[in-house]
Amino acid sequence: MFRKISCLSVPTYFLLIYGLHLAAAGLVNDEVKRTVDLSTHLAKISAEILLSNEGDSAVNSFVVALEPELAPHLAYIGASAKAEEEDDGHLELSETTLPGQNGKFFKVELLSSLAAGAKLRVKVETMLSHVLRPFPTQITQAERQLVVFQGNHYLFSPYPTRSQTTRVRLASKTVESYTKLGNPSRTDEVIEYGPFRDIAPLSQDTMKIHYENNSPFLTISSITRTIEVSHWGNIAVEETIDLRHTGAILKGPFSRYDYQRQSDSGISSVKSFKTILPASAQDVYYRDEIGNISTSHLQVLEDSVEVEVRPRFPLFGGWKTHYIIGYNLPSYEYLYTLGDQYALKMRFVDHVYDDQVIDSLTVKLILPEGARNIHMDTPYTVNRDSDQLHYTYLDTFGRPVLVATKSNMVEQHIQDMVVHYTFNKILMLQEPLLVVGAFYILFFTVIIYVRLDFSITKDPAAEVRMKVASITEQVLTLVNKRLGLYRHMDEVVNRYKQTRDTGALNSGRKTLEADHRTLTNDINSLQARLKAEGSDLAEKVGEVQKLDGQVKELVCRSSQEAERLVAGKVKKEAYIENDKGLTSKRQDLVSRIDRLLDAL
Amino acid sequence: MEWGEEVSVPGPPLPMPQQQPELRFNYRSTHYLTSNGFYEFLNWFDERAWYPLGRIVGGTVYPGLMVTAGLIHYVLNMLHMTVHIRDVCVFLAPVFSGLTAISTFLLTRELWNQGAGLLAACFIAIVPGYISRSVAGSFDNEGIAIFALQFTYYLWVKSIKTGSVFWTIACCLAYFYMVSAWGGYVFIINLIPLHVFVLLLMQRFSRRVYIAYSTFYIVGLVLSMQVPFVGFQPIRTSEHMAAAGVFALLQAYAFLQYLRDRLTRQERQALFYLGVGSAGLVVFLTVIYLSCIGCIAPWSGRFYSLWDTGYAKIHIPIIASVSEHQPTTWVSFFFDLHILVCTFPAGLWFCIKNINDERVFVALYAISAVYFAGVMVRLMLTLTPVVCMLSAIAFSSVFERYLGDDMKRESPPADDSSDEDDKRNPGNLYDKAGKVRKHVSEQEKAEEGLGPNIKSIVTMLMLMLLMMFAVHCTWVTSNAYSSPSVVLASYNHDGSRNILDDFREAYYWLRQNTDEHARIMSWWDYGYQIAGMANRTTLVDNNTWNNSHIALVGKAMSSNESAAYEIMRSLDVDYVLIIFGGVIGYSGDDINKFLWMVRIAEGEHPKDIRESDYFTPQGEFRVDKAGSPTLLNCLMYKMSYYRFGEMQLDFRTPPGFDRTRNAEIGNKDIKFKHLEEAFTSEHWLVRIYKVKKLDNRERLDHKPRVTNTVPKQKYTAKKSAKRKRGYIRNKLVLKKGKRHSKK
Repeated sequence: MFRKISCLSVPTYFLLIYGLHLAAAGLVNDEVKRTVDLSTHLAKISAEILLSNEGDSAVNSFVVALEPELAPHLAYIGASAKAEEEDDGHLELSETTLPGQNGKFFKVELLSSLAAGAKLRVKVETMLSHVLRPFPTQITQAERQLVVFQGNHYLFSPYPTRSQTTRVRLASKTVESYTKLGNPSRTDEVIEYGPFRDIAPLSQDTMKIHYENNSPFLTISSITRTIEVSHWGNIAVEETIDLRHTGAILKGPFSRYDYQRQSDSGISSVKSFKTILPASAQDVYYRDEIGNISTSHLQVLEDSVEVEVRPRFPLFGGWKTHYIIGYNLPSYEYLYTLGDQYALKMRFVDHVYDDQVIDSLTVKLILPEGARNIHMDTPYTVNRDSDQLHYTYLDTFGRPVLVATKSNMVEQHIQDMVVHYTFNKILMLQEPLLVVGAFYILFFTVIIYVRLDFSITKDPAAEVRMKVASITEQVLTLVNKRLGLYRHMDEVVNRYKQTRDTGALNSGRKTLEADHRTLTNDINSLQARLKAEGSDLAEKVGEVQKLDGQVKELVCRSSQEAERLVAGKVKKEAYIENDKGLTSKRQDLVSRIDRLLDAL
Repeated sequence: MEWGEEVSVPGPPLPMPQQQPELRFNYRSTHYLTSNGFYEFLNWFDERAWYPLGRIVGGTVYPGLMVTAGLIHYVLNMLHMTVHIRDVCVFLAPVFSGLTAISTFLLTRELWNQGAGLLAACFIAIVPGYISRSVAGSFDNEGIAIFALQFTYYLWVKSIKTGSVFWTIACCLAYFYMVSAWGGYVFIINLIPLHVFVLLLMQRFSRRVYIAYSTFYIVGLVLSMQVPFVGFQPIRTSEHMAAAGVFALLQAYAFLQYLRDRLTRQERQALFYLGVGSAGLVVFLTVIYLSCIGCIAPWSGRFYSLWDTGYAKIHIPIIASVSEHQPTTWVSFFFDLHILVCTFPAGLWFCIKNINDERVFVALYAISAVYFAGVMVRLMLTLTPVVCMLSAIAFSSVFERYLGDDMKRESPPADDSSDEDDKRNPGNLYDKAGKVRKHVSEQEKAEEGLGPNIKSIVTMLMLMLLMMFAVHCTWVTSNAYSSPSVVLASYNHDGSRNILDDFREAYYWLRQNTDEHARIMSWWDYGYQIAGMANRTTLVDNNTWNNSHIALVGKAMSSNESAAYEIMRSLDVDYVLIIFGGVIGYSGDDINKFLWMVRIAEGEHPKDIRESDYFTPQGEFRVDKAGSPTLLNCLMYKMSYYRFGEMQLDFRTPPGFDRTRNAEIGNKDIKFKHLEEAFTSEHWLVRIYKVKKLDNRERLDHKPRVTNTVPKQKYTAKKSAKRKRGYIRNKLVLKKGKRHSKK
């Protein structure tokens, strides 16, 4: 990893001494195997160096360098030691300068110091973006895309090199031209330079290769990655991506006919690419400002979710597009907790397409409301913008948002970041309580509103109407109760007919009398009240009372009849005849009462 | 009437109503409103439409819809509900259709009873004629306007019934909302005066009517003038004069009524006739005078087309070109209303039979709405609510009569047999005593002529009808209104679905890969879509306010390439967008609409464009070899069929076979001089051409004429070291031998 060190803070003389020290370290590149991979739109340069310490003291570090022409394009540089015991020892890099020299220099700390005379095999990997220049810069739809790479034949190193080979891997067999230093041999897609012997430190010799490269020259000109963490079990990720085809620009018309009929038409254009999402990604969406993009496919694999992203239109050189892709992740896979301490371990940037180049990345990390003591650990330096606040559902004082940016990134930057914060678990209850409280207030207001009278005028008529209505209601219940008494009496009489228990009959009659009296009195008082209110319903109630008197009489008579029957004073047939007459009369009266009640 | 925004439609009438691109415009303006604030919205000058004229959107739009959505969005965001304005817009229509159902219930309850109200609410909830505006995503003026209409009518009926100023003011506020939402408010401001007028004629004048209408007219007038787009129209245009006239008439009538109490019979009669006569005359003369001096604008052409259906076809082809402005067919009546269209006359009859003040209103509403719906497909929408209400009344009356038997059958035995009387529980008795007995007398009447069999048969039939109605509504909703019109779907033989997303593909291409200020020329149907989805400047759009501008675009489309180039250069056109359905057989494409372009262009430029030129001598419109040469060489034809002649769609047809018109195209060798194909969508549905800038040096079509054919070696004045002293033509030059170079 490289790290920028501010040069201003370091005194110049120190640098001078430091630089001299480096040069005098006596390190020599014994044997260098360089591979330049130009098969994609990136230049991947890796060099295997057999480092030999020919000085008299042991060294702890060495310096790798990058040509000044290529330095602005540097996306990633990494070094690893190839020792026998461990096959991949990752080495720390830090940027440094050499006085009086152009270019970029990185100091690599060795795992263990290299004794005088000892040798070490190291591997330096460099990724350069935007170094392949399309030439011609504009092509028509039928033409193929040619690009030029300009680099160095030699390894750019502050140490002398004994022997070096360079192998260049191209994207296709078609090569327009290439520099012929040392009579390189070419087979199909590979050009082999060297071996070169005894190269002076920091020597440069331009290597220029002009060849056909139809691989997708896609560049993400900007990507905004928003990660919203919820403690209720979900992490929502949304990436807003601006994509551009940075190859040779399309000149002239775009003909759909040719594009559909000829397979090699628009060969450098991009139809679709694959985005690999985490295996637990759910609810994936892919859309843009004007809606869902219907041309995409989702494939759930064992260890990942693959989205075949197809932009709305094929991307030709110079064309761009913009889209949003988003998904949900379960938080248990990424969020770790210990008491109030939380740690979120997620990728700082994720895969968009193979060999991706990101010109500028913004990561927005939205933490739950109430998260404090936030601390972010990234595997490489990023620029932190000032924190923001984000408000969404049921938020009161806002969720903290961490904003980090970084430019010029490649696949090697897909690494995990860790964000530590503390969060009081009680705060989880805040949102449900808020909802409960809101509903409580709502219902309470409604209760208050319904129960209290807020009218500014009094309406006496309405009041009277309501009073009358309540009285009528009472009358209705009482009358019904009274009718119920008669039915109860009927039962008593029937029972009497079977058991011939005069006592029961008498007591039944007595209770009927008593209840009936109280009910009738109640109704009478209600009737009086109705009259007092001036309602004409009082008359109707009076009528009901009158009819009820008759019903009562009939009931009494039927009980007497029953008594006589039991006593044997009347014959059964006569009784039945009589009873029928009584019942029908009663029915008639009851229905009349009902009708009156209906009219109430 | 003025309809702010119109709707695209191809020449041949479509079987199903299309969803509308104006939603795009509404969404775009709502977005503008929420991001720039209300006052900015009112002052919005849209320089991206009607290039180079621009459009004053704030003053030429009914802002009700946008303000409603914006307000909801604002309130939700204030509560930290981070809802995107898009979601608010999408769900506005369903919410408002719910409110429509409620207000329909209230109105029907006022007119008839609660049961009918409930049925009416059910009907309006599912009737296809209204569901086209109430599905989610239909962000349309009409969606909220129908609610405002129904609610205004409810409050009007309420105020006529009570004569209270409170209800009338509420009615005015609802009317104000309606005015701010839709141009159809003219329907209200003419229907309510008509109602009052008819009440006067029927001798139903009362103090309540006087209070209600006087308050409504004055307050409603003042409120409606607050909407910028309406402005002074309510006192200056003929459409609103009926309301003013009725207002004057009502005052005169009330005055006479007042006098009547104080005068003898003879005086009264004389005064009455004199008064009414002179009042009518004065109003009439004032209107005539004011129209003559120009204070009152004459009726607009669109208004004429409501009375004379042939008017638009002759005078304003642009109105006639919109299929929503076509007269309604019987099919679409049935499609939109199904069984209701048959039952609502019955409801109307019930209303007229038991007439009262508010039923006069609903009768007038029904009759006028039926007329307008017959004139124009689009006004079907105003008919739908009244049809629902009246059908509900009809169904409700029938059910009241025929469904009553259940209670009836229970009560007679109760009266007859004493055995059952004992078994009845007190609760049942209470029930009967309490509520249910109310309709005993009515039922007895019905009971006389109808046996239980007839009752059950009628009930079953009615229920069957309702069930079929529900099935139809579901079918229509799922088939016609559930899929977005901007995405086409086709089905393969095996039933799998193919999505044709060409429109958005092309619009998004425009949005991403053209200059931000590029100007796109297309037919006006796609104006709002381009503005909304591609975010680019258009020349004409669905707000067809400037006929001559549209005619100019039509002229460019129907001229040959060089003439069109002149027009396009004068209009600063960068890209031309056309819709071409020949590959997939999409019938709504530009070639099918082409005759309208020609007609509209002919209306403004009769010298340059003649419709007859585009027909064969037999009077046919053909795209194949027999087609007229003017058609085969016009810009639209060339753009549609550029390189199509090489394309063979399947093995049974020749190359260049147009699937929409089922013909092999006549001009297969199409070359452009000033245009260049810029983009064609996957299924060729949208084709975009780039208008080339003028060449620095005009290229010649033929080879430059060469006069001197003899000299092979041209004379050069170059003074090389060898030829310093001059040069003699055709002098023999001695060729010295050349050494072979190594390799």
